[in-house]
Amino acid sequence: MPQNAASVLDHNRLFKEPEYQSLMEGKKVFEDAVPDAKVKEVEDWTKSWEYREINFKREALTINPAKACQPLGAVLAAAGFEGTLPYVHGSQGCVAYFRSHFNRHFKEPSSCVSDSMTEDAAVFGGLNNMVDGLSNAHALYKPKMIAVSTTCMAEVIGDDLDSFIKTAKQKGVIPEEFDVPFAHTPSFVGSHVTGYDNMMKGILTHFWTGKERKANNSVNILGGFDGYCVGNNRELKRMLGLMGVDYTILSDASDVFDTPTNGEFNMYAGGTTIEATKAALNAKATIAMQSISVAKTLEFAATTGQEVVELNCPIGVTATDAFLMEVSRITGKPIPAELELERGRLVDAMADSQAYLHGKKFALFGDPDMAMGLTAFLLEMGAEPVHIVCSNAPKGWEDKMQKMLDASPFGKEAKLYPGKDLWHMRSLLATEPVEFLIGSSNGKVLERDCNVPLIRIGFPIFDRHHHHRFPIWGYQGSLNVLVKVLDKIFDALDDGSRNDVDFDMVR
Amino acid sequence: MSADVKTRNQELIQEVLAAYPEKAAKKRAKHLNVYEEGKPDCGVKSNIKSLPGVMTIRGCAYAGSKGVVWGPIKDMVHISHGPVGCGQYSWGTRRNYYGGTTGVNSFVGMQITSDFQEKDIVFGGDKKLDKMIDEIVTLFPLANGLSIQSECPIGLIGDDIEAVAKRKTKEIGKTIVPVRCEGFRGVSQSLGHHIANDQVRDWVLDKAESNHETGPYDVAIIGDYNIGGDAWSSRILLEEMGLRVVAQWSGDGTLKEMEKTPKVKLNLLHCYRSMNYISRHMEEKYGIPWVEYNFFGPTKIAASLREIASHFDDKIKEGAEKVIAKYQPMVDAVIAKYKPRLDKKTVMLYVGGLRPRHVVGAYEDLGMEVVGAGYEFAHGDDYQRTTHYVKDGTLIYDDVTGFEFEKFAEKLQPDLVGSGVKEKYIFQKMGIPFRQMHSWDYSGPYHGYDGFAIFARDMDMAINSPVWGMTKAPWKK
Amino acid sequence: MSGLRQIAFYGKGGIGKSTTSQNTLAALAEMGQKILIVGCDPKADSTRLILHAKAQDTVLSLAAEAGSVEDLELEDVLRVGYRDIRCVESGGPEPGVGCAGRGVITAINFLEENGAYDGVDYVSYDVLGDVVCGGFAMPIRENKAQEIYIVMSGEMMAMYAANNISKGILKYANAGGVRLGGLICNERQTDKEWELADALATRLGTKLIHFVPRDNTVQHAELRRMTVLEYDPASKQAEEYRQLAGKIHANAGNGTIPTPITMEELEDLLLEFGIMQKEDESIIGKAASAA
Repeated sequence: MPQNAASVLDHNRLFKEPEYQSLMEGKKVFEDAVPDAKVKEVEDWTKSWEYREINFKREALTINPAKACQPLGAVLAAAGFEGTLPYVHGSQGCVAYFRSHFNRHFKEPSSCVSDSMTEDAAVFGGLNNMVDGLSNAHALYKPKMIAVSTTCMAEVIGDDLDSFIKTAKQKGVIPEEFDVPFAHTPSFVGSHVTGYDNMMKGILTHFWTGKERKANNSVNILGGFDGYCVGNNRELKRMLGLMGVDYTILSDASDVFDTPTNGEFNMYAGGTTIEATKAALNAKATIAMQSISVAKTLEFAATTGQEVVELNCPIGVTATDAFLMEVSRITGKPIPAELELERGRLVDAMADSQAYLHGKKFALFGDPDMAMGLTAFLLEMGAEPVHIVCSNAPKGWEDKMQKMLDASPFGKEAKLYPGKDLWHMRSLLATEPVEFLIGSSNGKVLERDCNVPLIRIGFPIFDRHHHHRFPIWGYQGSLNVLVKVLDKIFDALDDGSRNDVDFDMVR
Repeated sequence: MSADVKTRNQELIQEVLAAYPEKAAKKRAKHLNVYEEGKPDCGVKSNIKSLPGVMTIRGCAYAGSKGVVWGPIKDMVHISHGPVGCGQYSWGTRRNYYGGTTGVNSFVGMQITSDFQEKDIVFGGDKKLDKMIDEIVTLFPLANGLSIQSECPIGLIGDDIEAVAKRKTKEIGKTIVPVRCEGFRGVSQSLGHHIANDQVRDWVLDKAESNHETGPYDVAIIGDYNIGGDAWSSRILLEEMGLRVVAQWSGDGTLKEMEKTPKVKLNLLHCYRSMNYISRHMEEKYGIPWVEYNFFGPTKIAASLREIASHFDDKIKEGAEKVIAKYQPMVDAVIAKYKPRLDKKTVMLYVGGLRPRHVVGAYEDLGMEVVGAGYEFAHGDDYQRTTHYVKDGTLIYDDVTGFEFEKFAEKLQPDLVGSGVKEKYIFQKMGIPFRQMHSWDYSGPYHGYDGFAIFARDMDMAINSPVWGMTKAPWKK
Repeated sequence: MSGLRQIAFYGKGGIGKSTTSQNTLAALAEMGQKILIVGCDPKADSTRLILHAKAQDTVLSLAAEAGSVEDLELEDVLRVGYRDIRCVESGGPEPGVGCAGRGVITAINFLEENGAYDGVDYVSYDVLGDVVCGGFAMPIRENKAQEIYIVMSGEMMAMYAANNISKGILKYANAGGVRLGGLICNERQTDKEWELADALATRLGTKLIHFVPRDNTVQHAELRRMTVLEYDPASKQAEEYRQLAGKIHANAGNGTIPTPITMEELEDLLLEFGIMQKEDESIIGKAASAA
């Protein structure tokens, strides 16, 4: 009997005990399992060039994609506004999924309601669900604003949010003046980043349309879908604070996804206020930290007369320089000495460590802007990105990426794979191995299958804790990224030399 | 429980209902009650549509079929048919452990989707599905079959997945099971279980021909999803008592095992809610009796082992006694270690379709008391069965809303809440210790004697963690 | 965009909706209006008379070929025909598969996002027979068509459909800005057709904006895939469409919130005009042989 009270064995040890090993072996008889040798043979074949070619011929099948669907992004965008209850019109199971997805990433509560449309709503439309749903949500959760998006069910039957919300107000279930911005977010178009963009545009359209703009000297920051919003937004605030700039972060979920354990659950913590959102129309410029991911919102901001600035997930020295210089140019405020000092420290750190990255071959996957930001950083470190997969790459991503790669001697070997998934990546890693892989927790199956260490940067991070609390943007954020990468490189060096001569005390 | 507690609980229900608009309050009132000893059920309505806008904790039929019943069958490829999200959010999150080489002869830990685009909605997805099946056969030659798990749009755009399944089954010579588990069907995961069971009946059992060798002690484990290895720590006991476990439904299960099940002597049903349908079917069609059992906590495990053995001869009965005796010292040591730290602690539970009652005995073995219980997707028969477990005065809440659950816990101040990941962080913020009772909070197994040791350890570390003593800043008393 | 007029033509299938709309729009073009036609019918026959084509490549078929709508450019789907009328067909699936309604939503979103409405005076949506699902109501959503014109005739089913479409409009009219512009009666030479159409219009809270007489010139023009306006501009029928166009042009802002009637009221109306006989309960369900 393997288990004992004195030292309780967990699953990771219990099932390695001989009793369980023989149990599993014995079970194979009933499974009509193919012999281990055959499994090995097929496994080897799945890692061959022949398999890679078949795999890349896929037209209909998607396996292990690195993307989610629109309303997930809409919920994140909505959660970043003060007192705002994200509301998804459609099937309830979707909302259970969105909430648990964020729970697992942030290790935090995620509040969101659904109006639980069922078979009758599929036939008759979801108006009644919207009326009752707004009524109940408003009464129970007392939000300052409800931001409505849709599931694919509501989109297929063609429910019209604008008219439904107006009807609900006419019926008096919520006050006429209560803010209910909305966005149609069909799951069969784009990905979670598209949904974020649509919701953000919906909210700004709600507050800005028909209002007169009186331009001032402030800037708006659009983060876009960002799994690091907790750390990143705080870092942005710190940097902009040092510069003395007037700014508004449009959707700031840094507090709602980082509330204290102090005996009370605070459903609505922090967030961009409605007043600030309205006033943001008057900003001189809107800066998109991940411009590909907020393309539509940016286009809308431009129509108000604001200048728009397009960045792509600024990781590294050059990207952070560009961000700060843009802020300085727009506002006329100089970049303070403190930030210049931080810059110098980052460059110092990179100089100290560059030897461990120079020429190292990387594969990476992630959202479109994230992939750009990480690639830029690798190139800065003299590392060589080889396979770059972006399952949800929109039009134009490839060109932008290619330009960046072409501009660096370290980008020559890189190949871009827009629209491909992690099963494609598996073939790439098996046939053209690299030394390290960067991506979300979904990449851990590749780490196992292809024996390539995974550096966890992306969304979602399910199997490591608290990463989202630390920024990846700015000089400080870049330092975090550098350390994450280096730690894995050193671990790999140690793992490979544990019984060998080069098990160095000093690296 | 005292009359005071009952009155308090009744008042609490009224207080909570007062926050709702009238129409909603009237509906929710039917789902909340205080259990009266001697009554045949818990006095709540169940399996009814959730109210719009209230933050129900429930999921959908797809979650019930793909997530629960079908997903763990490891030698089949399960297609999440529709847009990318559903498969993505349920990818690797349920912890149904399995053996094999992922992507080669096991396919559980994969997200396989038709990733519907606008054009698939407008022009229909049958052609894509057809092509997809061919691609799966090419890329995964060791897969023994496929299932098609429908997401919402499939039922709305009128795709004929049954026709595709029939045609392709002939073409490829492998089992293909179409499942109409669109998320808008039914009111929770529950209908998904039922639909999934029906499809096992129609597309697997009815077509199965297994000529395997049978024996007098053949049984199948039904309704164990091998969360954290639960089915293995159950199977080991059954094998030790002399039974031959032919199939596991569906944790670490295979199509081949399902096909062998119509020849077993007894079906052992753990999760009644999700697999009673197929158990009843096998009883009617193949004359296989089924017995419900409970492998949480030593009291219920021993009772269950004896109940199972009672369907067999003396050899098995003796085997059961031997197993109980073998584990008794370990159980005694576990209780001796943890009961003093957990005695008299109170628990509120809100889980799926089985655990709110099934784990009560395990808590009681550790001296703990369940003061509130509710189900996400139970039916009337679950609440009847619950009466055998809960005490007089227990607060009962069906399809609880986030709002209600928080208010109840605020008032009852339990020492532990056991529920899901969506609830976990809320209660922890409130300073209430919490364990996820769907995923075992990344721990487990909790089934069987080996699992009980882990269960006891986990409850102890949740409740007695030093962190709960630090939630208030000392300068704020 | 403030000057943009958006209108939509609805009506029972086979009523001559596409013919009427294209002729009317051709007449509007003649008046110097810049026009965009958005066909919202999977049959894609809303622009053939303007383009002299069998059927135009549709947004959705092109998108399916290219991968997705994001891969399309406006010029891929836009054709220019008679008097520079711009034409787009949304397209959709074969009968019995997929979701045609969603196709309408997709196509209209694509057109708006890609600036198809810039620089035109009129956008006209030509919509499939009936408002069968949310997708086909897309053109009557907020900020889409301001007025709906229902093409009908004195036949019972056409009137039934007109009433149903009014119900669809009513749903959106209370919350939004859409209004019923009027009925257009396409003469079928049924009894008391004008009177009946006019009476229905009154009951629906609108007006019979024009009674289009039957004229073979229309068929002659159609054979040549042309509008009457182009085929025989001097004809009497061309003048009818010019009148209709003039009335629609002058009708801006005059739309009403429709007051659809019940089935019983509709039947009473038909009885009143002798289109329907009082029900003889004794004959219900009896086959010819049983009589």
